[in-house]
Amino acid sequence: MAKFPRFLTLPIAAVIIVSACGGGGSAAPGGSGAAAGATITVTSLWGGSEQESFQKVLDAFKTKTGITATYQAQRTDYSTVLQSKITSGSPPDVAIMPGLGFLRQFARSKGIKSIEELGIDPASLEANYPPGILDTGKVDGKLYGIMVKFNSKSTFWYRPDTLKTAGATAPKSWDDLKALITTLQGKGTATPLALGAKDSWTLTDWFEEVYLRQNGDAAYKKLFSAEGDWTDATVKKALDSMKEVITDKNVPGGITGALGVAFTDGIAQAFGATPKAALYYEGGFVGGIATGQTNKDLKIGDTIDWFNFPTFGGAGDTAAEIGGDEIAALTTKPGVKEFITFMTTADSGSVWAKTGAIISPVKAVGADNYPNDLAKKEAAQVAGASAVVYDGSDTLPAGAPDMGAMLQKVIQGQDVTGLLSTFNDGVKKAWADEK
Amino acid sequence: MTATPVPINPLVPKGRPARTERTGWPTVLAFLAPALLLITIFLVYPVISTLRMSVDRGLGGEFTRFVGLDNYISLFQTPSFVGSIINNVLWTVFYTGFVILFGLFIAVIAMRVRYESVIKAIVFLPMAIAATALGVIWGFVYALDPQIGTLNALLGIIRVGPVSWLGDPAFVNAALIAVGIWGSTGFATVILSAALKGIPTEILEAARTDGANEFQIFWRIIVPMVSLPISVLAVTLIVNVIKLFDIPYVMTQGGPGDASRVIAFEMYKQDFAAGQYGKAAAVAVIMLLLLIPVMVFNVRRFRSSAVV
Repeated sequence: MAKFPRFLTLPIAAVIIVSACGGGGSAAPGGSGAAAGATITVTSLWGGSEQESFQKVLDAFKTKTGITATYQAQRTDYSTVLQSKITSGSPPDVAIMPGLGFLRQFARSKGIKSIEELGIDPASLEANYPPGILDTGKVDGKLYGIMVKFNSKSTFWYRPDTLKTAGATAPKSWDDLKALITTLQGKGTATPLALGAKDSWTLTDWFEEVYLRQNGDAAYKKLFSAEGDWTDATVKKALDSMKEVITDKNVPGGITGALGVAFTDGIAQAFGATPKAALYYEGGFVGGIATGQTNKDLKIGDTIDWFNFPTFGGAGDTAAEIGGDEIAALTTKPGVKEFITFMTTADSGSVWAKTGAIISPVKAVGADNYPNDLAKKEAAQVAGASAVVYDGSDTLPAGAPDMGAMLQKVIQGQDVTGLLSTFNDGVKKAWADEK
Repeated sequence: MTATPVPINPLVPKGRPARTERTGWPTVLAFLAPALLLITIFLVYPVISTLRMSVDRGLGGEFTRFVGLDNYISLFQTPSFVGSIINNVLWTVFYTGFVILFGLFIAVIAMRVRYESVIKAIVFLPMAIAATALGVIWGFVYALDPQIGTLNALLGIIRVGPVSWLGDPAFVNAALIAVGIWGSTGFATVILSAALKGIPTEILEAARTDGANEFQIFWRIIVPMVSLPISVLAVTLIVNVIKLFDIPYVMTQGGPGDASRVIAFEMYKQDFAAGQYGKAAAVAVIMLLLLIPVMVFNVRRFRSSAVV
């Protein structure tokens, strides 16, 4: 709203344009064939402690190969900035991107190189990963992206101390969860279920977990593909189940309250200094935020821990959902192939895992690399899962309607059938557009 | 070279000979060229380019498939876009209305006290806060947890709430508009205060002598005499509203659901989040169309009388 001094706009615009053009300016002097001594740029959206962790990986790469990889942080509007850099002809050499919708889009617009184009045989990588991991980076049957880090999304966080006081144990099934909530309510925790629904992606994760547990990995993958039918009865059933526990009574401040609470504030409801709740569903990354930011006094296993997302006795009880980032090459400059190869091995995975920031999909990264029990357990959960599926909302085409906003309306009690029908039309159109 | 151009120049008073005889079109053009060049580069070209983009599918930044008016049609079939226009109307009415009302009220009251400059400085302070910071600050004020949220803490004293100001669709727009009003009232106060100073005291004294009470003076004399600054102010505020983005972006991300989306936020969503550049360009064109009547009105007002 503030009035901006008009005389400043032109110089600032000029600076922005110049700096935007200079984005890829730190290009490599190399190109002689021998990659050692070359410099490549790697871009992703991490800053702060996440960036420091990743820098350790880049340092290890330099030590091993003599190639310098420079990190460029791009915290917001990641894909748009990347797109504009590609369009302007000065892309970074390597990008680590969140979400598969954009990976597909860049692959189809030829913004990124396939792994084969780099001279790496995709078949040679299969053995490095558990089944299914490499499939996430395939576009139209060709490998473009390789997952380099992930978090489980099948982790349901809780306060062991509160449960212990109430004489309860961690629930196994959905009915157990509902019973636990009632028990806690009877023992002084009026609103046991923390929820940060202002960040609507927390709701997409909720839905995905319930849908996966109820219908199994095959149905889940189908729903989040071009063949998915959002008007199917299974979708409504999953939403109805969600609404059994996400209620005005169970959530601090009720549904409208939760819609005004951000993801991190939701963590604080359960794990802050004065907890109002004892349960919080979100991915494995909650552990790091809760113990590192929200409340440094938390003790793993004592005041913070997680259990497997409750089961429904259906096809997906032993499956796990993950969300992760994919590495992709934008150029074939010397050093790029070496870097991508490096990122598929335990050399990078173990360095990264030791920072506690990530779970590595590389098989050879053993459990002893993880610095704490929460991360160890998370890695083991995914490794032991009967099937691993990728975060569905990150798989939808970028042009699809806002799934999180749709779910915010669902938990407000708006007409589910109507919402799903509109959403279905939009998703179908977005899939068709993408082709 | 018989035709001598005589440009209409309202600034040259009648009776004084126009001096264009000695200068021809080449001179005129030479002087206009820098401005024309800048306008072409920064105004005409972007507008034409946006128009062109708005009739293309424009997925992922590639403008290779002409789709006619599809983007526009599809926008008006999108409930969140229609909702965002309605929200902009709410903003226009309440934000503009209250900013002017409060601005005028504070300006009139402040004039009557000795510490006027202190009051104006305090009211003007929020103008110095970036809208993003404004959003963050008010995010705390509205927080659900009474230990963080000032407003809910106050309500707690009278045993009401806590109210989820940003999570309840019934309150969210009012809550955001209040932030906007808080941020802009100072601007209105300063403008209107300057205008009030321009009213000759003789008129007010004459009215008082004739027996007008303060209420009549305010409505019959002050308001009509500052009507032009008010209309200019209204235009500025309406333009602000049509461009409004930062407050909903920082405070609610358009939520819950899409209850607090505004047009500019919708454009951002289509462009940055969904990668649908064609549709985003169409939103931009619609914004431009909404702005044109406001600007025309503004320019007319400026031409008709040279006040402010």
